[in-house]
Amino acid sequence: MAKNNKNIRIGIYLCDCDGKISKNIDLEKVKTVIQSEADFEYIRITSALCGKIEKEKLAGEIDKYSLNRLLIAGCTDQFIRRQFLQVAEEKGMTRYDVEFVDLSSVQDGSEGAVAVINSVLAKIQLRGEIVIEEIEVTPQVLVIGCGKEGAKAALAIAKNQPVVMVEGDPGVADGIPLVKGAPNISIKAGARVAGIEGFAGNFTVRFIENGQLVKQKFGAVVVALEAQPVYDKSKYGGLELGEHVLTLSQFLAREKSFSGQKVTFVLGKADADSLLSYAKTLEAAIDLKEKGAAEVNILYEDMKVSADQLEQNYEIARAKGVNFLKYVGEIEFYSTVIAATVQYREPFLTQLDPLRITSDYLVLAEDYVPSPETKELADALEIRLGPAGFFQDDNVHFLPVKSNREGIYFVGSCHGPIHGVEIDREVATVVAEVGRFASGKVKVPALQPRVDPEKCAVCLTCYRTCPHKAIEIVHDESLNNLYHSAARMNPLACRRCGTCAAECPGKAIQLPYYSDQEILQEISKPPKIVAYACENSGFLASEYAKELDPELQENLQIVRVPCSGKIDVIYLLKALERGADGVMLLVCHKENCKFVWGNERAEKRKGQVRKLLKDIGLEEERIDFVHIAANQGNQFNAAVRAMAERIHQLGTNAGKVIK
Amino acid sequence: MIVAERKPIEKVLEMIAPYKKVLVAGCYGCVTVCLAGGEKEVGILASQIRLARSKDGNPIEVVEQTVERQCDAEYLAKFQDNVSSVEAVVSLACGIGIQYLAEKSPVPVFPGVNTLFLGANLDVGKWAERCFACGDCVLDKTGGICPIARCSKSLLNGPCGGSQYGKCEVSKDVDCGWQLIYDRLKALGQLDKLKEIIPAKNWKRDKGPRTLVREELTLERD
Ligand code: SF4
Ligand code: SF4
Ligand code: SF4
Ligand code: SF4
Repeated sequence: MAKNNKNIRIGIYLCDCDGKISKNIDLEKVKTVIQSEADFEYIRITSALCGKIEKEKLAGEIDKYSLNRLLIAGCTDQFIRRQFLQVAEEKGMTRYDVEFVDLSSVQDGSEGAVAVINSVLAKIQLRGEIVIEEIEVTPQVLVIGCGKEGAKAALAIAKNQPVVMVEGDPGVADGIPLVKGAPNISIKAGARVAGIEGFAGNFTVRFIENGQLVKQKFGAVVVALEAQPVYDKSKYGGLELGEHVLTLSQFLAREKSFSGQKVTFVLGKADADSLLSYAKTLEAAIDLKEKGAAEVNILYEDMKVSADQLEQNYEIARAKGVNFLKYVGEIEFYSTVIAATVQYREPFLTQLDPLRITSDYLVLAEDYVPSPETKELADALEIRLGPAGFFQDDNVHFLPVKSNREGIYFVGSCHGPIHGVEIDREVATVVAEVGRFASGKVKVPALQPRVDPEKCAVCLTCYRTCPHKAIEIVHDESLNNLYHSAARMNPLACRRCGTCAAECPGKAIQLPYYSDQEILQEISKPPKIVAYACENSGFLASEYAKELDPELQENLQIVRVPCSGKIDVIYLLKALERGADGVMLLVCHKENCKFVWGNERAEKRKGQVRKLLKDIGLEEERIDFVHIAANQGNQFNAAVRAMAERIHQLGTNAGKVIK
Repeated sequence: MIVAERKPIEKVLEMIAPYKKVLVAGCYGCVTVCLAGGEKEVGILASQIRLARSKDGNPIEVVEQTVERQCDAEYLAKFQDNVSSVEAVVSLACGIGIQYLAEKSPVPVFPGVNTLFLGANLDVGKWAERCFACGDCVLDKTGGICPIARCSKSLLNGPCGGSQYGKCEVSKDVDCGWQLIYDRLKALGQLDKLKEIIPAKNWKRDKGPRTLVREELTLERD
């Protein structure tokens, strides 16, 4: 076979998996045939590649033969596969550079094994080389919001790179004194963010500053608008605030000493969804005791301490003599000119009359709402809001500090009321994230989708449907189409979901490693069921499902996609055309797509294809759509069985073209 | 841009019923932008035709090809090879492209889309009519809002009696075009423009089908 690409150096490992494989396959024979036909650097048979020494040997061989692609045939164990990936990654490969071939399920013995190995080798060659792009970036970071949380983030980031802080209302920003004069930090007071252009590493932010439009370049943006406490008196029986009745935030801003005084905190009536009022109350109670308060009571319904440091603070408070008093149901409040009283019921001694506590100060927890600037800022930065109007979707796949756009991060209570230790952790993560831009240069593997300008009609569909705002339309005389323009995906901003590729009406977009050609090649002769499975959920579930019920695999072909947003209408139709009887889409649970809305796009396409089938008299039930999580192997198998049963009832797909 | 939508598949299947080999011809112009007839839609329609005909026990061969624009002869020439090897063509270009391809094709060419209007793309999957190509634009007098395209009755001089609360009597989902014009002119401080009567249009069709010839540009020699 002719040498394909001399920069692609493949190492092939034929693993016997402790004698399991050689029962049906003659590995020596496979090796000989491959050696005579294929194009690779190194090949070896091993009895068990997963042994510790073997892994060290593998690492050594990667260096010795300068391997940059691996094909490991034999092993099916996910856990062990991950270990090989780790070795490869340590040697500078990406997860796309390692291919596994399951030899235990190969039919036709040695010949079958040669055939699958050859097809994978062909795929590796087809993928070609990964180009590493070096991109010049702006080290400077913008921190939006000069509260304490913003100040914390700015001080930490400024150790590595310059920071600009922006604050619309400098009068109330309590973080400004903390950063005044700090090296590497400058403050834009009285300015607001009006818009943003560009991508991670090279944003241009538009500010309105003293009525003027000002533009400035930043590598990254950190949003640190703080949540705001609001007192809702209806939660406290209409109690008005006053001399002896304070909100928690009023109390925390106190200047006077409470030495010798009696203070009672009330928790649980407001701030139902967070731990923030609990965290703040515990800290305040300890502080009061240390400063000589006469009596400190915390009235609670459920003491929520399920976060770092809270449990410890609870213990400390107890040890210092803070009284923790549990209540049930309603509390009555009375306040006079000299004191404030609460009357409550104890949950365990119900026969008792209601209990009363009179103190000098009553301190009431508040609710937390997003800063009023949140919505406007979300629009300006083109990032998404989540529940209750805070930043960020409620999605288990999302890292807490990440927005739907690369290069824009959240710290602190802008994405929900959080406290102390959690904020420190977020700051540390953000410092690491923005630190990538500190040197002014970033290297990225250029794995973003490519656009064929001859096919691009600059229709904007990709631009509008990219969940990560990673696409721009560029004009360049060298672009070979009527407009000399085409869509371009930014390598730093793109998260490789492939949604754009599936949406493009000109079929101009191809995602490396998941091109239409590669995916359609996998279904060249499909079995009864083809399942397009998102690699964040359905695909992982399928791996687990395989172990649970290996026989179910016989009539099933799983096609792995990076996100269900990549499942093209054409893929569904082609599977049926080429002979499948049923096609499944296995997607992440609702609101839990790693790429924001890939699963919603996939659901729409399911609807579209069902209609296309119905209109020509084919059964729409042949298309199945299943929400699934990575650990739901059993549900996966149940869905496959249901599909098999449905197909059994419907009979073979009458539309198949290759009969 | 020209906005079109795919014709119902029954219609397409009916047109090509007698044939065993057809070309589905796409256009990378307006119909790609309006998601009705680009390379992707060509693939979808071709696939749907194959499935339908196989199901009916009457298999068909479907060839797929898309060119830059079906309203220019040079691009149409790219279809030459395929057109001469099939029995019929389904074009997914707008009515203009379909006709132009039909003029050049030795085999029958059928419409795969319904050409709807000249409109704007409001968002993914949403389009709205904006111009009727009347040949004598009056947008200067109407605050940049076309009375012909935006008024359900294409009235040129103010609304009919069916305009209520800003909506058209045709449907409460339709804005009254003349209300829009009024609001816009008011915002611009140009309400006095409404005093001018816009004369009836001849649609530039008094000499039959419209053509445009610019002598200063044509390649013909005097
Ligand atoms: S969707 Fe396709 S045709 Fe449209 S702009 Fe993007 S790449 Fe170009
Ligand atoms: S692959 Fe996903 S993130 Fe990347 S440009 Fe396309 S739609 Fe955007
Ligand atoms: S043929 Fe029609 S759809 Fe295609 S570019 Fe021309 S006008 Fe637009
Ligand atoms: S008046 Fe209306 S229909 Fe006539 S050219 Fe202007 S926009 Fe088009």
